[in-house]
Amino acid sequence: MDSPEKRKDAVIFLAVRYLFARPRQTLLTLLGIFFGSAAFVAISGFMLGFRGYLIDQLINNNAHVLIQAREEFLTEHSLDAPFYGSAYRHIFWAAPPSGRKDSDIVENPQSWYLRLKNDPRVAAYSPQLTASVIFAKGTAASASRLIGCDPLQQQKVTTIGEYVVEGKFADLAVGGNRLVIGEELKKKLGVELSQTVSVSLAHRAATPFKVAAVFRTGNRMTDSLAYGAISDVQNVNGTPNQVNEIAVRLHDHAQAAALATTWAGWGPEKVESWDQINANIFEIFRIQDAVRFLSVGAVLIVAAFGIYNVLNMTVMHKRQDIAILRSMGYNTGEMIWLFFSQGLILGVSGAILGLAFGYGVCLYLQTIPFGGGSLGSGPGHMLVSFQPGIYVQAALLALLSASIASILPARAAGKLTPIEIIRAGAE
Amino acid sequence: MGIVAQHVGKVIGAPPTRILSDITLDIREGEFVSLTGRSGAGKSTLLYLLSSLDKASEGTIEIEGQDVGRMSGEALSRFRNEKMGFVFQFHYLIAELNALENTLLPARKFKQQERRKAHAEKLLERFGLGDKLNRLPRQLSGGEMQRVAIARALVMEPRYVFADEPTGSLDTANGERVINILREANETSGTTVVLVTHEPEFANLAKRQIHLRDGRVV
Repeated sequence: MDSPEKRKDAVIFLAVRYLFARPRQTLLTLLGIFFGSAAFVAISGFMLGFRGYLIDQLINNNAHVLIQAREEFLTEHSLDAPFYGSAYRHIFWAAPPSGRKDSDIVENPQSWYLRLKNDPRVAAYSPQLTASVIFAKGTAASASRLIGCDPLQQQKVTTIGEYVVEGKFADLAVGGNRLVIGEELKKKLGVELSQTVSVSLAHRAATPFKVAAVFRTGNRMTDSLAYGAISDVQNVNGTPNQVNEIAVRLHDHAQAAALATTWAGWGPEKVESWDQINANIFEIFRIQDAVRFLSVGAVLIVAAFGIYNVLNMTVMHKRQDIAILRSMGYNTGEMIWLFFSQGLILGVSGAILGLAFGYGVCLYLQTIPFGGGSLGSGPGHMLVSFQPGIYVQAALLALLSASIASILPARAAGKLTPIEIIRAGAE
Repeated sequence: MGIVAQHVGKVIGAPPTRILSDITLDIREGEFVSLTGRSGAGKSTLLYLLSSLDKASEGTIEIEGQDVGRMSGEALSRFRNEKMGFVFQFHYLIAELNALENTLLPARKFKQQERRKAHAEKLLERFGLGDKLNRLPRQLSGGEMQRVAIARALVMEPRYVFADEPTGSLDTANGERVINILREANETSGTTVVLVTHEPEFANLAKRQIHLRDGRVV
C-alpha cells in the first residue's frame, strides 16, 4: 500500500498548478500573509530589542533584591494594640490614625549581613547609604543623589564598573572623599576628572569631593547620580555606621521575586526584587505585547479572509475537477488536502518571504542611529531583537491564520460527491 | 465475474422521486453493453449505480463478487482507480494540466505516472494526439478533448469503462471516432464497456443493448 504522504504528492502537484494558474490572485493573497508576518517580525524585533536591553539593564545594572529601610503606612487599626492591647474587640477612633511610620535606616543590618553571607543563593551584597545632596562646582549646582557603597562589593552586585569611561570605580576604595559621577552630572557641573566638587546636605556645611571616575550608562537618570565610599557618605550625612539599603545579587535572577517575598518576613525592612521594583515597566510590556499581537492579528485576519474567499471561489469553480478526480479514485481526504494545501502553500510561502523581509528590515533598523535621550541605548543605534522565538511566533501566526482560513472551503470540497456535481452539471 | 445488479432501485430528492425500480441484470467481463432509453428513463442513474459513483436505495450491486455498498471508502477509491475508467458527456479535463498530464492523472494518485507515461503517450498517439501532448485543454478541439478524456479513462488499463453519453457534445465524425476507440478497447484489451447513449446507431454497435423505460429494464 502507498503511504498517505506519497498520495498527497499528487494533489499538491495539482494544488500548485491551481495557484500558478491564477497568478494575480495568488500574489495578492500571498501579500497579505507576507505583510502580516513581516510586520510582526519588524515590530517585535524593534520592541523586544529595546525591551531586552532594558531588562538586561534592570537585571545586570541594578541589584536583584533591594533591602530598604522600613516603610509603613498607618491604617485605622494600626494603633489599636499599642493603646488598648486586647481589652476591646472593636475600637472606634474619633479621628482614625493615618500617615507613615517609616525609618531612615536599615535596623540591625548586621543580622542581614549574616543571613546573606550564609545564603548559598546570594552571589554578593552591598550595603548602601543614599543621600539627597546638592553638588556644586563654582556657580553650577545640581541636586541629585549620592550613593555611598563599598566599591568592591558594589561592582559585584551591579555592573556599574563596566560603564566607567574615565578613571576607575575601584578608586573610591582609596577613601578621602572621592566621587564617581555620571556623565550627565558631569556635564551639568562642568567638572573634569580629578577636579573637586562640593557636596552639601541641608543645614550642613559643604564637603569637598574629588572626581575619581566618570561613568556613562546611556540612561539619563542613572547618569545624573554619583557614587562615593560608604564611610565618606555616612560622614557627610552625619549618620556613621548607618545604611538605608542593602543591594543583593543572586546567582539566579529568576529567583529574586520568590526570595524577596520570603525575606520580607524576616524583619521590618521593605524587601523587593528587581521585577517587583519595576512592576510598572512590566505592565507596559504587557500592554505593548497586546498591541503588537492585536495589530499584527488584524493584518493576518484580513489576509485569512483573502485566502478564505479565494479558496471558496476556487472550490466553486473546480467542482467538475472534484467530480472527475473522485471518479478516478481520489478520496475525500485527498480532496480536502487539494484545497487545504493551497492555503497552506500560501501561508508557508507568505510566512517565509515575510520572515526574510522582516529580518532584512530588522537588519536595517539596527543601523539607524538612536540614543542619547532618556531612552538612549548604549551602542548609539536602534536595538533590535533577533530572538528565534519571534520568527517562530510569526510563522505560527501566519500558518494558523492560513490553516483556519483554508479548512472551511477544503471541508466543503471534501463533502462534495461526484454524482452531485455531475447531476448539477447536467441540469 | 463482471457486474451483477439485483433488485436495484433508486429514489432521490424530497419529496422522493423514484428513478429506478427493481433492476436485475448481469454484465459479464469483456462485454460491450449499451444502456438505451429516452431522456429521463434512468440510463445515467443506472450507470452511476453500476460504477459505484452513486449508492442504490434498494438492492445490491456486486462488481467482481464484491458488494460495492459494503466496501469501505478507501477500498472503493482504490477499486475505481485501478479497475474503472469513466468518460462523461463533457470531457472534464483539468484546465491547468496539458493533455499528457490529464491522461496521467489517475496514475498520479499512486505515483505511477512515470511507469504509465509511455502507455499514456501511446494511447494519445493512437487517438491522433501524438503532436499535442503538451497542449492545454483550451488549445484542443472538442473532439480532441474527449479523446484525451478517453485516454485518461484507459491509462490504468481498467477492466471496466463506464461512458455516459460520450458523444453527446460531439459532431458525427468525432462521435464515431470516440465510439470506435471504445470498441477497440473492448476488442483488443477485453475491457468491459458500459455505454449510455440515446443514439441508436452507436447503441447498435454494442454486443448487447439494455433498454430502459420509466426506470425499468424492458
